[in-house]
Amino acid sequence: MIAPTGGGIITGLYAGAAPLLLILTFLGFGAFFLRAWRLYRYMRLGRDEARIDHPWRRVRDELVVYLGQRKLLKRPYYVRGLAHAFIFWGFIVITIGTVDLLVDGIIGFHLPGAGNAVFAWTIDIFAVLVLASIAIALVRRVFFPPPRMHVALDGYVILGMIAILMITLLLFEGAGLAAGNLEKGFTPPPIAGAILRSFVFPGESSAVVFFWSWWTHVVTVLAFAAYLPQSKHLHIVTTLPNVFFRKQTPRGALGLIKDIENQETFGAASIRDFSWKQLLDGYTCTECGRCSDNCPALATGKLLDPQKIVLDIRDQLLRDGPKLLGDAKAETTPPAHYLESKPEELWACTTCAACVEACPVTIEHIDKIVDMRRHLTLMEGSAPPEAQRAMTNIERAGNPWGEPRETRGDWATDLGVPTFAEKPDAEYLYFVGCAASVDRRNQKVARALVKVLRTAGVSFAILASEETCNGDPARRIGNEYLWQMQAQRNIDTFKKYGVRKVIASCPHCFNTIANEYPQLGGNYEVIHALQLVDRLISEGKLKVGRGTAEAVAYHDPCYLGRHNGIYNQPRAVLDAIPGVQRVEIEPHNRERGFCCGAGGGRMWMEENVGQRVNHRRIEQLLAINSGATKVASGCPFCLIMLEEGVGAKGVQDQIRPVDVLELVAGRIEN
Amino acid sequence: MKILIPLKQVPDSTVRVKVAPDGTSVVTEGITWSISPYDEYAIEMALERKDADPSTVVAVVTVGPERSRDALRQALAMGCDEASLVRAEGAAPLAVARALAKVVAEAKPDLVLCGKQASDDDQGFVGPALAELLGWPHVATITKVVPAEGAVELWREVEGGHEVWKAPLPALATVHKSEKEPRYPSLPGIMKAKKKDIPERPLDALGVDVAAPTWTVVSMEPPPARGGGKILRDGDAKQIAERLATALRDEAKVL
Ligand SMILES: Cc1cc2nc3c(=O)[nH]c(=O)nc-3n(C[C@H](O)[C@H](O)[C@H](O)COP(=O)(O)OP(=O)(O)OC[C@H]3O[C@@H](n4cnc5c(N)ncnc54)[C@H](O)[C@@H]3O)c2cc1C
Ligand code: SF4
Ligand code: SF4
Repeated sequence: MIAPTGGGIITGLYAGAAPLLLILTFLGFGAFFLRAWRLYRYMRLGRDEARIDHPWRRVRDELVVYLGQRKLLKRPYYVRGLAHAFIFWGFIVITIGTVDLLVDGIIGFHLPGAGNAVFAWTIDIFAVLVLASIAIALVRRVFFPPPRMHVALDGYVILGMIAILMITLLLFEGAGLAAGNLEKGFTPPPIAGAILRSFVFPGESSAVVFFWSWWTHVVTVLAFAAYLPQSKHLHIVTTLPNVFFRKQTPRGALGLIKDIENQETFGAASIRDFSWKQLLDGYTCTECGRCSDNCPALATGKLLDPQKIVLDIRDQLLRDGPKLLGDAKAETTPPAHYLESKPEELWACTTCAACVEACPVTIEHIDKIVDMRRHLTLMEGSAPPEAQRAMTNIERAGNPWGEPRETRGDWATDLGVPTFAEKPDAEYLYFVGCAASVDRRNQKVARALVKVLRTAGVSFAILASEETCNGDPARRIGNEYLWQMQAQRNIDTFKKYGVRKVIASCPHCFNTIANEYPQLGGNYEVIHALQLVDRLISEGKLKVGRGTAEAVAYHDPCYLGRHNGIYNQPRAVLDAIPGVQRVEIEPHNRERGFCCGAGGGRMWMEENVGQRVNHRRIEQLLAINSGATKVASGCPFCLIMLEEGVGAKGVQDQIRPVDVLELVAGRIEN
Repeated sequence: MKILIPLKQVPDSTVRVKVAPDGTSVVTEGITWSISPYDEYAIEMALERKDADPSTVVAVVTVGPERSRDALRQALAMGCDEASLVRAEGAAPLAVARALAKVVAEAKPDLVLCGKQASDDDQGFVGPALAELLGWPHVATITKVVPAEGAVELWREVEGGHEVWKAPLPALATVHKSEKEPRYPSLPGIMKAKKKDIPERPLDALGVDVAAPTWTVVSMEPPPARGGGKILRDGDAKQIAERLATALRDEAKVL
């Protein structure tokens, strides 16, 4: 920062101002910390939760997500993301300058390196980039407000303050240079230098300009500090801890309720039932609306809006926080069992993670939704009746369809697939899952996989009627108890047969066994069938012959893609099939893939509000106009939903839903 | 009001029933048991009354072997207040009705709700027999119960509408369906039910003779395996309909 140390006039003005500056600083930051302390105490009303595992990953995330702004620079937000990144980086640089300015103004001491040309240049350039980015942000707010963003006065106040900071900064830097604050061999930075040259502040006037711009700058800084905690722009501060304390367990894993038989309450029924981190999420929400932009439920007219889920919690915390702090037990005021989010909102979620993926500040929406569902299901027993039926079926028959338990392995009898009891030395367990076991359409996929595995010489066996539902639908409906029972049952069976390696053709089985069974001590090497097929092909163990040439669109299952980052292997399998030309369902592909509508237990619930999610997906598929005659996926539920969708849209003769495994199996010799 | 529900534990509807080698019973080894669906409706109906009026007491009782305790626990988990077990192996329906008559005489409920039939034997016998033994009014296949001064209104679904019957208390009704699907128990409900004491006594302690058979099962046979279906595909709707009619007349001989 260019310090007015040389010129007599300026020094005089400046020196006398130190006490005033001290008082203003004290007020500005005092207001900041007072409010921040209150917010902290509200946050601590939440329940405890340890978030300190994997410290190095946390530091890395801080560098990549906070400093690197990684989650802002995403399709389709590149321009706005970059504008934001510049404001942010500029802000960091200029904050260092501001600290130097205040310290110097009060105690006359410069931060090391603060006086040199590199620093002056950096600040100068960033000030201009920030101004340009603010211009972009303003134009966007005024002329192209994004549909879901809350455009409010708050945003303009913050942008205005930052703009004032940048303009006054450039002005007093220029005036300072004019007043002769140049050190020896100091090349004036470009913008301040241009101001210096174009305005030409001679003698007295440069001092006046310096005086006023400097003070305006300082007062604005302190006003900014005082205002920040009242504003959604508090995220500048809260993102730092929010990223650090983000979940480091796999995204697809929901939290375990420990010692469930001895708990008295389950899930979230009030603000205090959320963890402090879930409340911190609320403080951190920037109200950007990216989560909502990408939510399939909201897009198809459901009541659910992920941004609202987060903000309802925050608003309620700010509203009820004072009362709750006053009354430590808070049994009565506000009502102990009360949250803004309505069951209808909560039941609409497919747990597709589009919101989690889109959120630039690592807010975890699904965990909140599932916590609230846990209350509804476990405490109130008020899950939708069809979901209750599915859970009862899981309990009694071991599959949500309610097909007889004993018939689970029937699809494989004519193929002579061995069970583990018959082939105890099998290398892999093929965990078939409920859909491929009992749903006729998906039994074909299981048969295709058997053919592939046999061709490649993979040693495997199944559990047939000893296998039971992995528990995923139950857990996502909020029935943690049933999930634990199902998981434990499978883990016990795996143990009985010494299972170590598991193949799953269903991404939900894959996700649960790989990411959630370790919570109950079940650790296996789990591989999705398409990952395995990709490996078999690249190792030369599986040769896929040429079939009819056809264009095939790939639909990303949420629990392969966003939940587990498996985007490339299924595509590699498609690309390895001679004659198949892979088509992308742009722009809704890869991490922006659009849910089929079946996740989160939604497969088992009625969908009679708005458009059906799978019908929207078929529209997206038809909109790419690619000439694809098949749409391939790697998930039995996607397959069921896509089948229903093409039927409802009357396009089953144009485009046929398949599993990638069927395409492979159809092109290998017996 | 006190409501008593006699419930029966039956093989779950998801179980594929097999005839045992003796040819007169079904295999019960390792199968899943649950509350007979119409009894579940009866429980739900009673609990809906309890939701509306918390002073309502809902009790369940079953006549059955040790394993039928699970069915009672399930009922408690759903929200019933009391449960008791009358231990018996293979009691005939009349013996069950007689035992229940003793239980009712002790428990003095205002209303007894049975399922309209149990989903295993489908006899629809116990409800009416119990009403007869007690000398109480009996209304069959109800879908709703509404308390009225010293009486109950019992709703029945009939073709194109419903009838409302009124019975003085005490009364017995058999249940066809509840307004809502039987509720899924809450977890605290399950935990509470696990700890709850379920008193039991043997059937003969009630002075009922189990061995008074009124009938015997002569034989049980599974239905013949179904042959493969036939898909009539070629031709327009008219042609297909004609061929279908021919097939129904000549092959299936139903026309
Ligand atoms: C509880 C209930 C009570 C009813 N009571 C009466 C009543 O008393 N009197 C009355 O007139 N109506 C009654 N109905 C209505 C009546 O049953 C139906 O409206 C009518 O049968 C529908 O005929 P459809 O031509 O649309 O055939 P669909 O509804 O399409 O099918 C009827 C039957 O035809 C056969 N079938 C259809 N398509 C095929 C095919 N492609 N291949 C082979 N077989 C096929 C199947 O057996 C199918 O179950 C009742 C309906 C219900 C649900
Ligand atoms: S997980 Fe998917 S459906 Fe649920 S709120 Fe997020 S975006 Fe919407
Ligand atoms: S939750 Fe995240 S994505 Fe959604 S509005 Fe808030 S900051 Fe944006």
